[in-house]
Amino acid sequence: MSRWLPCALLMLAIGCDDCGEDEPEPVADPLPGTAGLRSVADFADIADEEARSVALFEEMGKVLTHPRCVNCHPIGERPLQRAGEPHQPHVVRGEDGHGAPGLPCASCHGESHFRTVPGNPEWHLAPAEMAWEGKSLAAICGQIQDPERNGGKDMEALLEHMESDALVAYGWDPPEHLEPAPGSQALFGQLARQWAATGAHCPPEPTGDVEGPAEASEDEVSPEAGEASAPTEKAE
Amino acid sequence: MPSSPPASSFLRLGRRGFAAGAGSLVLGVVLRRHLRADAPGPLADVEGGDASPDLWIALEEDGTARITCHRSEMGQQVWTAMCQLVAEELEVPWEKVVVEQALGDPKYGDQNTDGSRSVRFNFTRLRIAGAAMRQMLEQAAATRWGVGAAQCRGVQGEVVHEGSDRRLPYGELAAAAAALTPPPERRIQLKDPDQWRYVAKPTPSLTIPAIVKGEGTFGIDVRLPEMLYAVVARPPQVLGSVRSFDDTAARRVPGVVRTIQLPAITAPVAFKPLGGVAVVARNTWAAIRGREELEVEWEAGPNASYDSEAYAETLFAQVREAGRVRRERGDTMGALDSAHQRVEAEYYVPHLAHSMMEPPAATARWDGDRVECWACTQNPQAARSTVAQVCGVPEANVTVHVTWLGGGFGRKSKQDFVAEAALLAREMGKPVKVTWTREDELRHGYYHTVSAQRLEGALDESGACTAFLHRTVFPPIASTFQEGANEPGWGDLRLGASDTPFAVPHLRLETGEAEAHVRIGWLRSVANIYHAFAVQSFVAELAHAAGRDPKDYLLELIGPPREIDPRTEGAEYDNYGSSMDTHPIDTGRLRAVTEMVAELADWGRTLPEGHGLGIAAHRSFTSYVATVVEVAMVDDRLTIPAVWSVMDAGTVVNTDHALSQLEGGTLFGLSNALYGEITAKDGAIVQDNFPRWRVMRMNESPPRMEARLVPSGAPPGGVGEPPTPPAAPALANAIFAATGTRVRRLPIFGADRRDRLGGAR
Amino acid sequence: MSITLTINGEEHEVEAAPDTPLLWVLRDHLGLTGTKYGCGVAQCGACTVHVDGVPRRACVAPVGSVAGKAVVTIEGVSGPEADAVREAWTELAVPQCGYCQSGQIMSAVALLKSRPSPSDDDIDRGMAGNICRCATYVRIRRAIKQAAGEGER
Ligand code: FES
Ligand code: FES
Repeated sequence: MSRWLPCALLMLAIGCDDCGEDEPEPVADPLPGTAGLRSVADFADIADEEARSVALFEEMGKVLTHPRCVNCHPIGERPLQRAGEPHQPHVVRGEDGHGAPGLPCASCHGESHFRTVPGNPEWHLAPAEMAWEGKSLAAICGQIQDPERNGGKDMEALLEHMESDALVAYGWDPPEHLEPAPGSQALFGQLARQWAATGAHCPPEPTGDVEGPAEASEDEVSPEAGEASAPTEKAE
Repeated sequence: MPSSPPASSFLRLGRRGFAAGAGSLVLGVVLRRHLRADAPGPLADVEGGDASPDLWIALEEDGTARITCHRSEMGQQVWTAMCQLVAEELEVPWEKVVVEQALGDPKYGDQNTDGSRSVRFNFTRLRIAGAAMRQMLEQAAATRWGVGAAQCRGVQGEVVHEGSDRRLPYGELAAAAAALTPPPERRIQLKDPDQWRYVAKPTPSLTIPAIVKGEGTFGIDVRLPEMLYAVVARPPQVLGSVRSFDDTAARRVPGVVRTIQLPAITAPVAFKPLGGVAVVARNTWAAIRGREELEVEWEAGPNASYDSEAYAETLFAQVREAGRVRRERGDTMGALDSAHQRVEAEYYVPHLAHSMMEPPAATARWDGDRVECWACTQNPQAARSTVAQVCGVPEANVTVHVTWLGGGFGRKSKQDFVAEAALLAREMGKPVKVTWTREDELRHGYYHTVSAQRLEGALDESGACTAFLHRTVFPPIASTFQEGANEPGWGDLRLGASDTPFAVPHLRLETGEAEAHVRIGWLRSVANIYHAFAVQSFVAELAHAAGRDPKDYLLELIGPPREIDPRTEGAEYDNYGSSMDTHPIDTGRLRAVTEMVAELADWGRTLPEGHGLGIAAHRSFTSYVATVVEVAMVDDRLTIPAVWSVMDAGTVVNTDHALSQLEGGTLFGLSNALYGEITAKDGAIVQDNFPRWRVMRMNESPPRMEARLVPSGAPPGGVGEPPTPPAAPALANAIFAATGTRVRRLPIFGADRRDRLGGAR
Repeated sequence: MSITLTINGEEHEVEAAPDTPLLWVLRDHLGLTGTKYGCGVAQCGACTVHVDGVPRRACVAPVGSVAGKAVVTIEGVSGPEADAVREAWTELAVPQCGYCQSGQIMSAVALLKSRPSPSDDDIDRGMAGNICRCATYVRIRRAIKQAAGEGER
C-alpha cells in the first residue's frame, strides 16, 4: 500500500481519458473478509450512510496505517522499515522519491524481493506532501482526497490506484519475514469503492490534538533504528 | 596459486633451506650469511631482535629494494612504516621500495601484530638493518674504487665518492656487498633525526595505490587451483557441541560437495576451533545456502544459562562488595570515611565485537603431512602453532602466509579460523577456504569483556580530591586460556587501572571475581576502553561535585609533571612491554596533551544552546591522547558537531598515517560508546548482523574533526590503540555538559536509550 | 544455467543459478575479488558495483537480474570522476585497511556523477550506506570534496 500516489500521477499523465466524473458505483459482488480485513458486506447493516462511510474508511485505515503502507509515507525525509523503525542505513527521499545521489533506493531494492530485501521495479518513497506517518485517520482521509496532497488525483483515479497499482500490491506481498498489510488488495479496493459510493465521509478528529512525530533530523547521530528489532528480522 | 599471491618469501642466496618465494622472479642478491646454525651474524641480537640485513632486505640488480615486513598489514600502514625505517638508513629512493610480507617464522622475533608495538619494538633494529646494508654497499664501492670507506656515502640508491663525485648504483654493488660481513653494532652509524627523509614525515603509503584499484589480496580473496569453499555451522554456545545433524537437504543444494563434522571443542577454548558442522562447496554462496539447509541439534553445554541482563546484575552486586586490593597508596578507605564530601558512581560497559569489515577467512592446502595456510592473521606464529596443535603435526610442517587484513582490532590474533581451514583441507584432500560470514563474526567472536566498575572519591572543603577508589570487576582475558580463571590479571589491570596517574594522597585499586561464559578476547585498546571510560567520567563527576571546571580539575588530578611507577604501590606493571626508563609514565606529557586539546577546541568558549564540551585524557601503550568532544542535544536528538584529538606518541614514523589512526581510533571509540553492545541470551549471542550490531556511519560521524600530533623526540610509543580510550568518556562528559544527564552505562543508544540518557545508574 | 554478463566492458559466460548474488559470481566464478563481502544483507556497502551506471549492492543483486546490463566493478571503474576520486583517495591517504574502500569509491563516484559539487549533507546522504570500521569518514569526506575540485582551504 505504500508509494501508490506518485504512480497514480504517472497514470494520470498517460491515461486520464478514462477518469470519469461519474459517481462511484456501489460494490456489487462483495469479497469475503480475509486476513484481518472485513468484507464490504459486513458494513451493509449500518443504516446511516455517513456512518457507514466512516466505518468503511476506518476499516481501510487498518491498511493505511499498517507499516507496509506508512513506512514509505514518512513525515520526515527518511523512510521507516520493519515494524516502523527508522530505516538503516540512513536513506532519504531525495528529489524524486528515489533516494539520494550516490545512494538511490535501487542500490539495494531490486526489481523483485531478494531474500530479506524487498524489491519492486517502482520502489520509491511517497513525496513529502503525501506523508501520513503519525497522522490521525481523519487527517489521512482528508489528505488523500485533496488533489493538492494526493498527486492531483480525482476520486476515480484514487480508487483505481488502490485497486490495481503494482507497487500498492507490494503491501500484501512483502518478503516472508515482514507482516503483510491486512486483507488483500482486491478487498481493500472494494472497501475504498464502497466508501466513495457512500459519500467518502471521514471519521471525526479524535479529541485532543494528534501530532505527528517531530521531523527526523538529517544529521542525527541517533536515528532510533536498530532498536526494538526482532532478532529474526532482517533489513527491509 | 593465488591470482596475486601474497608475497611471502623471496630468493635469498646462501640461506640454508630457504625456498624461493611463490611466483618470485627475484634475482635476490643478498648478503651472505655466516652459517647461522653455528654462529649468528654480528647483528643477530640488537635491541628488538635480529637486525641482520639479509633477514630484511634483498637488493635487485635494477636497484629495487625488497624489504621484508614481518608484521601484519591491517590498515595501520605497517608495511609503509617498516619500510620507512629500513629505507631511511639504507638510503634508497622510495619508488624503489617493494615490500615483501614475511611468513610466520620465529626468526623475525615477535610477529604478533597487536599491542601497538610494531614500531615501538622495531624502531631500532630495522634502522640498524638498513644502515648495515648501506655501510656494506659503501664498503664494496670503496674497495672497487680503492678509496677509504669513510669517503663513500650511500645516497638515494647510489654510493657516491665524496672526493671525486664518482657514483655507483646499489644494484651494481649488491653482489660485492653480499660477500661482506655485516658490521658490528658499535660501527653502525644511524642518521640524526634532522637528516631523516622518510621517518617522521608523511611518506606515501605502499598499499593505498593498490587499494584504490581494488587490488591486493585479503584473506577472503585467496584463490587456489581446485579450491573448495566452506562455511561452518558452529555451536551457538561456547563449549556447546553437535548432538546430531541431518545434511540431506544441505547436500541437495547445487554446488555443495560435502558436510564435515568438526571435533568438539574442549576447555580452555584458547585458539581452538569451536567445532560444529562444515559445509564444503564449489563456491561461497553454495556453502552459505547449504548451511541454511543444514539441520543441526546442538548440545548447549555449560554456558547455556548466560544471559547478559542477569549477568549485569551479578557484576553490579560484585562491584559493591569490597574487593582484593591491587594497588594502594595511603589509607584510602580511612580518607573516604572521613571525607568532607564522598562521591560515588558505578559504570557498565558491555561486550563488544570487533566487526572488522573483513570477517575472518583462511585457506589451507596439504601436501602429505605438510600444510600451507593463507590467512588474514595478526599472528602468523600463533597460527602455525595452533594449526600444528589442532592437526597434530610438527610446527615445522606448517607454513603460514599472511595476506592483507581487512581490519584486525585483535580478532585476527585468534587463530581458530586458520585451524578450521587446515582441518577441512586435510579432510577434503583439496585446498579449502573457510569464509566467516558477518553473522559468524558477530556470533562467534572473542568478545571485549563486560565490566562493572565502582569509583569513590573523597573531596575536602576546597573540593580537592584526597582519596580515589577504583574497583573493577570483569571476566578476564585469562579465562580464554585457563579454565575457570575469574580474577582480573595484571595484564588486564595495567590497561588503565593500575597505572592511574593521579596526584591524590590516597589511592586504591580493587578487583572482584567474575566468571566468563563467552570467549573473552582483546579489542583495540582492550581494558583501557572501560577503565578510561570510568576513570575519566568520574573525574568530571568529581569536578561537578566540587563545582569546578572539568578540564581544570582533570589537570589538577594529573598534578605536576613527574614520573609515576605503580610498582612502588603494590602493582605489577609491565608498561606494555617497554622499559620504564625509556617510556616512563610521564604526567607532564599527559598534562601537555590535555592543555593542547583544550586550546584547540577553544575550551571555555560560549556554546550554542544545547551544546556541551567534554574532555578526557589517557595514557596507553606508552602514548598520551586527549580528546574533546562537542555534542549538541536539540529536541532530544544527539549530534556530534566536532571532535578534537591530540596525541603524543613520541617519535612518529609516519605523521600522516598516525593522524589517520588518531582520527579513526577516536571515531572507533565513539562508535562503540554510541552503539556497541553484544548481548547473550541462553548463552548465545543475540546480534547477528548490521544494524542489530551497529557501528558509526558517515552521516553519524562528526563533520568536523581536528587531530594533532605532539612533535616529540621521545622514543616511539603506540599509535593504533591509544586514540580509542579517551573517546567514550569525552563523549559522556560532553553529554553531561549539554544535558546534565550522566551516562554511566554504555552504549548510549541501546534498545532503551531513553533510560540510559535518563541516567539509570 | 549459463548467463551472459558484461563486466567492465567484457562479456563473460558464467554457470550459475540466476538467484545467485552477483557478488559471489564476481568473486568466486570470475575472480574479480576487488568487490568485497561485508554483510550480505545490503547494510555495509562493501560490495557496491555499478549496474547501468547506478550503484548496486552486489550481495543482494541476483545475477540473473543483471544479465544484459553493464556491470562495472572497482577493477574497471573509469572516467573523470573515478580518476579524481582515486587521486584524492591516494593523495589524502584515505584508506586504512582498505577493505571497505572499493565500495566507498564506487559510491563516491556515483555521488559525484549526479552531484558534481556535493555539500556535507549530500556526502552524508550519498555515503550513509558504506560502513568503514576503520572509521576513515573524516578523510572520505575531505577526499570527496577534493575530487569535486573543492579541496578544503
Ligand atoms: S556485502 Fe553487500 S552491502 Fe554488505
Ligand atoms: S578502511 Fe578499513 S574498513 Fe574502511
